[in-house]
Amino acid sequence: MPAEEQKRLYEQLATAVFELDEQLAKLLAQEVLDRGYDAWQAVERGLLEGVNRAGKLFDEEEYFVPELLIAADAMYAGLAILRPHIKTHHTGFNRRVVIGVVQGDTHDIGKNLVRIMLEVAGFEVHDLGRDVPPQKFVDTAIAVKADLIALSTLMTTTMERMGEVVSILEAEKVRNRFKVIVGGSPLSQQFSDRIGADGYAPKAAQAVELAKRLVGLSNAA
Amino acid sequence: MPQVHFRSHDIHIEVEVGTSLLDAARRGRVRLEAPCNGAGTCGKCKVRLDEEARRAAHVVDSRKLSDDDRRDGWALLCTTLVEADIALDLPAGAEHGLRILEHGKQIDLPLEPWIGKRFRPERNVTDILSGGDALAEEPGDTTTRAYGVAVDIGSTTLVASLIDLGTGSHVGAASALNPQARHAQDVLSRIKLGSDAQGLALLNAEVIAEINRLITTLAVEAGIPRRRIYEAVLAGNTCMLHLAARVDPEPLGRYPYTPTLNGDVHYSAKALGLIISPFGLVYFPPVVSGFVGADITAGMLAASLADEKGVTLFVDIGTNGEMVLARDGRLQATSTAAGPAFEGMNIACGIRAARGAIERVSLEGGEVTVKTIDDAPPAGLCGSGLLDAVAELAVHGVIEPSGRFTKNRGALPSGLQACFGERDGKPAFHLTPDIYLSQGDIRQVQLAKGAVRAGIDVLLRRNGLTAAQVDRALIAGSFGYHLTVRSLIDIGLFPPEFDGKVTYVGNTSRTGAEALLTHAPSREALARLVRSVEAVELANDDAFTKVFVAAMAFPPPLRPALEEVA
Repeated sequence: MPAEEQKRLYEQLATAVFELDEQLAKLLAQEVLDRGYDAWQAVERGLLEGVNRAGKLFDEEEYFVPELLIAADAMYAGLAILRPHIKTHHTGFNRRVVIGVVQGDTHDIGKNLVRIMLEVAGFEVHDLGRDVPPQKFVDTAIAVKADLIALSTLMTTTMERMGEVVSILEAEKVRNRFKVIVGGSPLSQQFSDRIGADGYAPKAAQAVELAKRLVGLSNAA
Repeated sequence: MPQVHFRSHDIHIEVEVGTSLLDAARRGRVRLEAPCNGAGTCGKCKVRLDEEARRAAHVVDSRKLSDDDRRDGWALLCTTLVEADIALDLPAGAEHGLRILEHGKQIDLPLEPWIGKRFRPERNVTDILSGGDALAEEPGDTTTRAYGVAVDIGSTTLVASLIDLGTGSHVGAASALNPQARHAQDVLSRIKLGSDAQGLALLNAEVIAEINRLITTLAVEAGIPRRRIYEAVLAGNTCMLHLAARVDPEPLGRYPYTPTLNGDVHYSAKALGLIISPFGLVYFPPVVSGFVGADITAGMLAASLADEKGVTLFVDIGTNGEMVLARDGRLQATSTAAGPAFEGMNIACGIRAARGAIERVSLEGGEVTVKTIDDAPPAGLCGSGLLDAVAELAVHGVIEPSGRFTKNRGALPSGLQACFGERDGKPAFHLTPDIYLSQGDIRQVQLAKGAVRAGIDVLLRRNGLTAAQVDRALIAGSFGYHLTVRSLIDIGLFPPEFDGKVTYVGNTSRTGAEALLTHAPSREALARLVRSVEAVELANDDAFTKVFVAAMAFPPPLRPALEEVA
């Protein structure tokens, strides 16, 4: 019954991540390797599935920032063990996103949550960090051939930087190459509309849904 | 142009099509709270529109409205745009008085004001001295008549005291709301508004006019001509100082938040528009950084932080939690973005600390008991009541240490089980039939208290200290003054080791400003101290996110029986 055992181990891995047990996630990831099971499947059906479940609870306000970050830590710890053993190149699909906190702002916890959930959803994420100049978003998006630019800020005073990114895209005549999404506590849908972004999401999980919808991976909700 | 009729205030005003109701109200000079300044994100300008009014306006939906709200005709003033003649009632209670903290810890210093007087009988004139130098002269002998004012410019309230510079005695005190709050509630919104010339002029004019009103009130009550007031010391956070001095606050709104005005400077009162003696001066105390301002440095002086032996932690809990760690005279300071939850903002039933606000909550004996300000009928939950409520929920196991409502309601006393209800399909805990806490509210409290606690923990860690090694914790400021040590520890904002070590020092921004007014040598001493203070930027501390995440948890409930029942 190795198939059954394999499945059970992946499930245990998912549960370890979901229940925020980083040590257990590492032990189980090692066990996957020791038994010669497929590392990619362990990632997809174990680690990512675990964070996915945590993300769902986060969306329902059952989990909060700490739980999601700790679940992500457990996922990354397991991933560090499994990654060298992933045989073929699995990326799920080929969508790229450039994400960062706009210039002048160094609050990055919200951005990190969205990054984690985008990664779990299968996006190739280019994280520019925080205090990122508008031009850098544009240059990076062009260089990596991104599908999406995701902008974050916590501060009222730095919101307008998001509009600058859109303006630069227009000035460089590349606006139609990228979708732009924005998020952060001082923002609103009206703000997003005003600066000409393609979408706004009030919460991390909704940002991922929005991202998927905009790059044509799911139907409009 | 369409006409807007605010029936409740009997105001008619003409506006262009597309004007928001909030802007219309402002043009009609109606005082309204709009913390987000019309961004549509705070939900505080909620108003109920009747059928007819809805037809005359374009109502943009807001996520700040619940399904119940929409059904009942509620909309936001700031996202409702006028299309035709419209009539509506504005929400009541926009002009409620706020609870204002005036007193604070004082420091004993000899009387040695910056402003002095010297009579010269040969010419029958009195010299007015500024730091020992002659500033001007007055006819006759006026040596016994010299006054000064000390003002704490809070982002919410202004508190001023009039002091006799000849005796050092208090002649009077007065307070008022900071009128800037009408235009932009929190400090970041004010920085944003003040970042263009027009906004800066507005915010500056508002605060200067209010300070002038306070000074007039104090002078009239004491029977003193305003020209006998020779100096004003203005303390406040770094943004408030910039706005009072009409200095562009824009750099304060972006990393690395560098102040343009660093304080420890004298200005001419006349140039700033303060109506005191025509030769009068204004002194701004020194600031540490963009987010550790003169309110905190004045507090360092009032609380004698540089002279304390051992480890002292000074904390001002508010929208920005500022804190100073003093260790045998060496000081480190930081600030942390606690967000507006402590002011009752972003909280479903949150209101400011005014009449009728629930300020104390107890779940003792399995029953909810609330106490309101002035014992008025409960109108909502203010910051201190919110903190008290959440602390009680944690202690009694209504919420888990993670902050989530317990999955094991059956283990709670029946009185508490009965308090659970539903709002928009999600669980809510009712303190009264109308006032409740949502899961989202508890999350807001976690962010706020976690931010302050993380600041404390990071400062301690950087110094290799544990909470047990802190000899004393001083709570400054108006919000902290209304919190109990018990709930601060129960909620995990303070570590349990602080029990028995906490002192409330009150409005030390004001008392520090008074000390600077009456004891000039303290200005140089404080400026020197402030130059030696290390400003810690939490965002640059590698451990910050981890510490913050840990600090969001609540201490485990003191009812282990709950787990056993489960």
